[in-house]
Amino acid sequence: MYGSKLLEGGTNTRFRHRRNLERQKTRSIEEIASLTSLCEGEKGVIVRAAGGFGLVRRLAEMGLTPGTEVKLLRKCSFRGPVEIEARGVALALGYGVASRVFVRPSKAEANG
Amino acid sequence: MAKKLRIALAGNANVGKSAIFNQLTGLNQIVGNWPGKTVERAEGTLHFKGSTIRVIDLPGIYSLSTFSMEEIVSRDYIAVEKPDIIIDVVDASTLERNLYFTLQLLELEAPIVVDLNQVDFAAKKGIKIDAEKLAEALGVPVIPTVAITGSGINELLSTAIAVINKKGKLKPLKVKYGREIENRVQAIEKLVDIRFPQLCTVYPARWIAIKLLERDEDVIGKLKNYEGGKETLDYAEKLASELEKIHGESSPVIIASEKYGLATKIAKAVTIIETPPKISLEQKLDTLTTHKFLGYPILAAVLASMFALIFVGGNFISAGLDYVFGIFTTFVKNVLSSFLPEIAVDLINNGILSGIIAGITVALPYIVPFYILLALLEDSGYLPRAAFLMDNLMHKIGLHGKAFIPLILGYGCSVPACIGCRIMETERERFLAAFVAVLIPCAARTVVILGLVGRFVGLHAALALYAFDLILVFILGRIAFKVLPGEPVGLIMEMPSYKMPSMKNIAMKTWSRTKDFVYIAFPIIIAGSIIIEALSLSGLMHYAVEVASPLINGWLGLPAVAGIPLIFGVLRKELSLILLAELVPLESLKAVQMIVFSLITMIYIPCVATIAACKREFGWRKALAITVIDIALALFLGGIAYRLLSLPMTA
Repeated sequence: MYGSKLLEGGTNTRFRHRRNLERQKTRSIEEIASLTSLCEGEKGVIVRAAGGFGLVRRLAEMGLTPGTEVKLLRKCSFRGPVEIEARGVALALGYGVASRVFVRPSKAEANG
Repeated sequence: MAKKLRIALAGNANVGKSAIFNQLTGLNQIVGNWPGKTVERAEGTLHFKGSTIRVIDLPGIYSLSTFSMEEIVSRDYIAVEKPDIIIDVVDASTLERNLYFTLQLLELEAPIVVDLNQVDFAAKKGIKIDAEKLAEALGVPVIPTVAITGSGINELLSTAIAVINKKGKLKPLKVKYGREIENRVQAIEKLVDIRFPQLCTVYPARWIAIKLLERDEDVIGKLKNYEGGKETLDYAEKLASELEKIHGESSPVIIASEKYGLATKIAKAVTIIETPPKISLEQKLDTLTTHKFLGYPILAAVLASMFALIFVGGNFISAGLDYVFGIFTTFVKNVLSSFLPEIAVDLINNGILSGIIAGITVALPYIVPFYILLALLEDSGYLPRAAFLMDNLMHKIGLHGKAFIPLILGYGCSVPACIGCRIMETERERFLAAFVAVLIPCAARTVVILGLVGRFVGLHAALALYAFDLILVFILGRIAFKVLPGEPVGLIMEMPSYKMPSMKNIAMKTWSRTKDFVYIAFPIIIAGSIIIEALSLSGLMHYAVEVASPLINGWLGLPAVAGIPLIFGVLRKELSLILLAELVPLESLKAVQMIVFSLITMIYIPCVATIAACKREFGWRKALAITVIDIALALFLGGIAYRLLSLPMTA
């Protein structure tokens, strides 16, 4: 899908890195989970946020950009909000928001 | 020569800007531990070494984009008004996120001094920041401070002034992006620089270029007015979509990612983690109060004990004061009668004196304890936890958890609740939140409920009224949510750490709120009392009562004179009870009448101050809509309540 850009953008390292990331994404698609499906105390790295332009941008401005490590601190009962820690700050995200943020759970923590 | 300088305080929410402001100006800007507290620009003046300095406290924001009204206002203030210096208040314990904002200020090419605040709190968490290294990395001075105690404030001020005096010598960091972004930024920058020289005197060309790449609506709107704006926009749009195709993300996210990348790099380089943070009392408290099950009973207990304290304490003080003033009035009456005609004595006694006394004995005993407890709640950092717990429920009325904060403030006064609704993100949510927040019984209404129903009928009846009100808020909120068009927004909120509230701050806050109450409420109470007394002395009261009788007596089952206090209650809600007490002995009212009267006071019309606040926030149409709906609802429910409650009592 990025074929045409390959010609246009040349071969810079950043792009190659991105492409590799894309590959990883497709290879380990089942390992990507929404924030709401993490367990309390579990860590993950943000892959992307799905949703409207405004929401994605707002999340990015609060520091939830792709590649950021987050830790799920706690979940509220009954599909309630979650509290996460990212960049040293505790953030509360509503269930709807959290379910649109997709992370790759960190292996080491997942078993704990 | 006396110079006039302007210093603006900017930074993220809840980093202590207001505390710094108070330290600088000696004013009492309200300080609290929840993000979004300062919604209006506060200004103060200070004198320092022969200069007169105006200090402006900007609302806390996370970014200088166009997400909220506050962001646009702040960024325009910085770019257009060009204050002599900006003190960027940065929370040392969350440096990385705060630096993201600092980088944006640097991009705006604003002259800044970084105030590394709350270094004491950061040290407690085991975080130490190398201020010199940070200053080197950013190319601007960095001054560590502790706003609450005032440590570092003098140095901050003298550094800020030194920077103003030799501006040219600083070498602020230029934020550079990765090649893909950088090339495009520079391409747009060149174009902007040539085509819009006027705009570039206000905003830096590079900044405009970045904003165009981010598709910033506000900047796009500005450019449209210029000749050749369209081509530039098309060009920027082309470059932005190129960038998006490479990265597979939207352009603001790509740029934010890079900026955060830089913030992380700087933060890592200057942060020294001293001791691995051990689990502190605050963290334990945090875990407990946001626990998925225990959190709710704790929230209920906190709120219930608050009201119990206010009720018990208020009743006790009120009764004591009543007794003291009872003796006092008899004495004054006797003294006055000795040399004044009877009509003048009545006017002074029933009008002025009883107005003041009623204000003191009825209103203050409930209001002061409430303000103390509210200040404790605000400063501890519990409010955001409550908002977190209530998020789910608030979604049922189309709002998110943050709206719970104005609702709690509403128990204090509807005016700050109304203004506090600005923490909500969209116009629709703000209005929805304000609509329900004005229905929350404020301290003045609590005076009526507790002073009438609580005192004469019993606490259970007063609590039932509160419970009924909450149900009503929920039902009306749900209806409004369904009626108003638009999509609900999800919760994204920073959770500040718990902090030990400072007694000095609590006292100051309680005092300034009580003072406001006395200054605003007492003149109205006294004027109202005099008018009522004059009306009854002149006989005009009789006509007014007769006209209102079918509604007040026939439909609501209240004594016909009760219509007068209800009308005056529009000025101040507690005035309705105070005047009622002057017209009819409260003990003579039936329990049903007390409940109906309180119910109406609780729901009908937000007082004039609230209507004015609503008007300012939402315009006349919406303010009137709220007013009319509330009056109609109060009269309707009052009549229903009278009939329903009369049934068991007559049967």
